Amino acid sequence: MKVIHPRPNPIVAALYTLRDMDIDVVLVHGPAGCSFMASRMLEEAGVRVITSGMRDDDLIFGGAEKLIDAIRTADERFSPKTIAVVGTCASMIIGEDMEAAVRRSGVKAKTFTVDCHGCMGDNTSGAVKAIESGCAAGIIPKDEADRQSMLMRAATDMEKKVGMAGREYLSPVRGPTKLKVARTIAKALKDGKKVAFAMIAKKELAYRFADMFLALNEAQKALGGELFTVGNLDPDKGLPRIRRYADDILSELKEKDAYPDRIVGGLDEYAVIGEDVRKEIDAFGPDLLILAGIPHAYPGYSPDDVLITDQPRQLANYLSMGCGLAVGEISSHSMVMGARSIIPLETGNTLREVLEEFE
Amino acid sequence: MRRIAVYGKGGIGKSTTSANITAAMTEMGLKVMQIGCDPKSDSTRLLLGGRSCPTVLETLRDRGSVDLDDVVVEGAGGCLCVECGGPRPGTGCAGRGIIAAFETLERLGAVDRYRPDVIIYDVLGDVVCGGFAMPIRNGYANDVFIVTSGEMMALYAASNIAEAVSNFSGDGYARLGGVIQNSRNVADEDALVDRACGEIGTEVVHRIARDPSVQRCEAKLTTVIGGEPDSAQAESYRELAKKLLERSEDRSGGMRGQ
Repeated sequence: MKVIHPRPNPIVAALYTLRDMDIDVVLVHGPAGCSFMASRMLEEAGVRVITSGMRDDDLIFGGAEKLIDAIRTADERFSPKTIAVVGTCASMIIGEDMEAAVRRSGVKAKTFTVDCHGCMGDNTSGAVKAIESGCAAGIIPKDEADRQSMLMRAATDMEKKVGMAGREYLSPVRGPTKLKVARTIAKALKDGKKVAFAMIAKKELAYRFADMFLALNEAQKALGGELFTVGNLDPDKGLPRIRRYADDILSELKEKDAYPDRIVGGLDEYAVIGEDVRKEIDAFGPDLLILAGIPHAYPGYSPDDVLITDQPRQLANYLSMGCGLAVGEISSHSMVMGARSIIPLETGNTLREVLEEFE
Repeated sequence: MRRIAVYGKGGIGKSTTSANITAAMTEMGLKVMQIGCDPKSDSTRLLLGGRSCPTVLETLRDRGSVDLDDVVVEGAGGCLCVECGGPRPGTGCAGRGIIAAFETLERLGAVDRYRPDVIIYDVLGDVVCGGFAMPIRNGYANDVFIVTSGEMMALYAASNIAEAVSNFSGDGYARLGGVIQNSRNVADEDALVDRACGEIGTEVVHRIARDPSVQRCEAKLTTVIGGEPDSAQAESYRELAKKLLERSEDRSGGMRGQ
């Protein structure tokens, strides 16, 4: 199907995946502005992302010298253990031999290339390239690489089937305020109803969506009702960095007495755990269901459910399907970059604010 | 001003033919600018008698800016020689280079400055990608002539070039002016080239005989017009030059025809 709204980029997906693999320096071999927004966010999160800064001359004559220079500069300046050189549209079109440049650079750091570009189709193809390259370079084991590739394919399928990759154009919206959602939740608890919360979050975004465990817990203590919570926070799944996220969040939830009732899957398994989460929720049999993170990962979500997403286009998708309790936590991604503790949600804070109306 | 592009398979004699056309037109009193569009930068060699011609792209890379006087070099009889230049084989993108070189010449106002009557673009090989089609796009060249022999691969390349020209013709770009036969003494050569022209939907403008004068003059780094001006071969190139003038369009405008 033809899709014309802007979509995520395979090069950027490779950058994030290299971050997940804890690569010290990521070097984008392309124009200085290529992947700038993502690079800046990763930089703020402590990942070194640099560019070879290709110019027109480099397109014409080849950018090998500039790349070698950038690799050596990175090696001297940051003394990294690992460097990943990431391809772009520009390097792909001129057929740049990035492998040869890495060999000729002669640096101490373990350096490998990710042969990706912007025209590969699904953004996850860039992530898979990064995983395969990282595996070939001995950064991650084969079984984890296979598992990651499988999860990427599942995420791609999910977005095509039920996400925004299956719509021709969606205008981004910021959506309604969180007041209606907060009052709906507060009222259900006050009325002694059964409220279930499932977080199916994508990696670092859990630092924000996990605030719902805290807010709901506070609300339940204040108003009563019955609360059941599920989260994909398994600390034994995925790459070390992803496990760290789960560890951080679980310790904070434990400390604040809001530990989830069930943990289903890891933070990189959002695309494959919907059914399992649903089983847990069905067993509880809630009157009100709240889904946060990637709500459409939950099979059979309904227009009566509270849906909390961080994606303005995804929010447009939910609202257009008649989900009146969908809200957007827009710009969450920039807030969670580099986070090591839970960051309050607007939905969570609004719920905290309305509690006194119901007490 | 006439804007003529000469295309053809690598090694078929485009540069030699172009240089002789430029020399013949110059002899007629026309101001001719020959622009070599090949990273090998050897298009204007015979017009410069072995003198070097700094290329547009290398100058731009090494100095960050280009002065027209540095890259437009006067050749035999006062003709103007330009070489686009480009990457070493196997690196970078020569096609992008052609585009950048044209943009540079246009930005610097090369046409306004030298006021040529004719621009001859000598373009590498087949139309391999968008960059090499640049001379026939956007009004740079208005008339395209293809150099070929009766050899199969040369005719095959000619057919590909003709296809590229016709693909662009709907957008108001260059038109195919015909085929220049640079004979290699292949058996039945005239008939083979005629048949190919029939398939392409064009005709032979002129047949250049295979003649040792061409090699002799090349060894002396000159055109046949310059080296053996009284020869039959020189006369043949003059005839070709006249035909190209008859068959090309005199359009107003700068680097790009209007």
